Amino acid sequence: MTSPDADTLPVNRLLALLAARDYEALRPHLHRQPLEYRESLYAAGERIEFVFFIETGVGSLVNTMKNGQAAEVGTIGNEGVVGLPLVFGDDRAPTSVYIQVPGEGLKIKASLFKRALARSPTMQVVMLRYAHALFNQVAQSAACNHFHSLEQRCCRWLLMTRDRMDSDKFLLTQEFLAMMLGVQRPGVSIAAGGLQRAGLITYKRGAVAILDIDGLMKRSCECYAVSKKEFDRLLGD
Amino acid sequence: MAAPIQSAIRNRILGALPAVEFALVVANLTSVDLELGQTLHRAGEEIAYVYFPEIGFISVMAVLSEGAPLEIGLIGGEGVAGVSVILGAKTSYNEAMCQTGGAAHRMTVPAFLNAAERAPRLRDLLLKYVHVFEIQVAQTAACNAHHEVSQRLARWLLAAHDRSGVPELSLTQDLIAVMLGVRRSTVSVAAGALQRAGLIQYQHGRITIEDRPGLEAAACECYRAVVGEYRKLLGIDPAVVAAGNQAPAIGL
Repeated sequence: MTSPDADTLPVNRLLALLAARDYEALRPHLHRQPLEYRESLYAAGERIEFVFFIETGVGSLVNTMKNGQAAEVGTIGNEGVVGLPLVFGDDRAPTSVYIQVPGEGLKIKASLFKRALARSPTMQVVMLRYAHALFNQVAQSAACNHFHSLEQRCCRWLLMTRDRMDSDKFLLTQEFLAMMLGVQRPGVSIAAGGLQRAGLITYKRGAVAILDIDGLMKRSCECYAVSKKEFDRLLGD
Repeated sequence: MAAPIQSAIRNRILGALPAVEFALVVANLTSVDLELGQTLHRAGEEIAYVYFPEIGFISVMAVLSEGAPLEIGLIGGEGVAGVSVILGAKTSYNEAMCQTGGAAHRMTVPAFLNAAERAPRLRDLLLKYVHVFEIQVAQTAACNAHHEVSQRLARWLLAAHDRSGVPELSLTQDLIAVMLGVRRSTVSVAAGALQRAGLIQYQHGRITIEDRPGLEAAACECYRAVVGEYRKLLGIDPAVVAAGNQAPAIGL
């Protein structure tokens, strides 16, 4: 576990937005660690012990019903932070967060994060701006889950993941994708098969390769472009 | 117009403020009527005022470029409409519309932000409220993906009733259909079933809840889950005011 160097720019976009002094207050307490596929960063109802600034990979906010039915309500990548409830004074996680695409992140103890936050109004401003962008994404997902077709949502999800990974190739099981989209596995098979036959992606042995971004954008619902624009605007890309 | 007295205020956030913070806020509050169908915040437009509802409830709707909007959350006497300005928002991402006539106290955004900066308890409550509202929206996102219309209708009626502050809701089936993102005929069938089961009374667009435990049992788990979060985080039970009981102070 190593802390990031003082003289390298942060990979995580939120950390990069922080005032130099705010980042420096966090930096010695940040420790880089791998984020493993399916790793649970925290589970609904549990105390939040650590905050994660994702550098590569993607985390999913997942709401799970009592009978086990799950739906993804938001995603977090290198533009964000896992542990936002702490910013609002909630020490327990309302939803679970899983790593859906493996990568690396910087981990900090919740108590140290809270201390730094309490001392810095400028850091609070950045965290709240991000919270707003994530909140808008969740709102968009609520409507999207209801109105848009599985294929459209599948395209949206693949495009969002691509942006976060900064890569056209990533690992993803159908089982996990099904959970993210809140459907049964056969439904995902059909949707992914259709995209594959259309030459937009290849999907073999749990590895996705995006071949035609414009094609995927055309088949995606508007929610992809809307959410992306919103994040870019709020995070001042 | 005389400034409102804190003990007469029904809005739970305003009611929970320490006297010194309420004094700071009250000078900037204006009482306004909420008209049925009135839009308080339009998607993509500047947020000019923040509203603390007293009576009636406000729907927050996600607006897609095609098709009808979909309700993602409700705001009543337990909350604040336009609260996203505290996150740094200038414009409204969603649409906020009054689903019933009612009343609210409103504040301009600069006055609101100024108060939130000077009143730590207010700021703390507002941040907790934003968080719990987001939990409500996330729950709705999952609910929309998985639950049956009849369960969602029961959940919605309970939540709307809790927030409205009045025993009887005046709502057309068309409006409920838009809120749930389904056809009017689907609402008709679902509402008919709840009525035959003796859980609600629905006549001439007026809805009363006849059997609250029964309606709660007919709702999906999302109703309880969200109420639990309001209790845990804000110490607010959204149902207390609607039941006509004295609202307990919010304890944190």
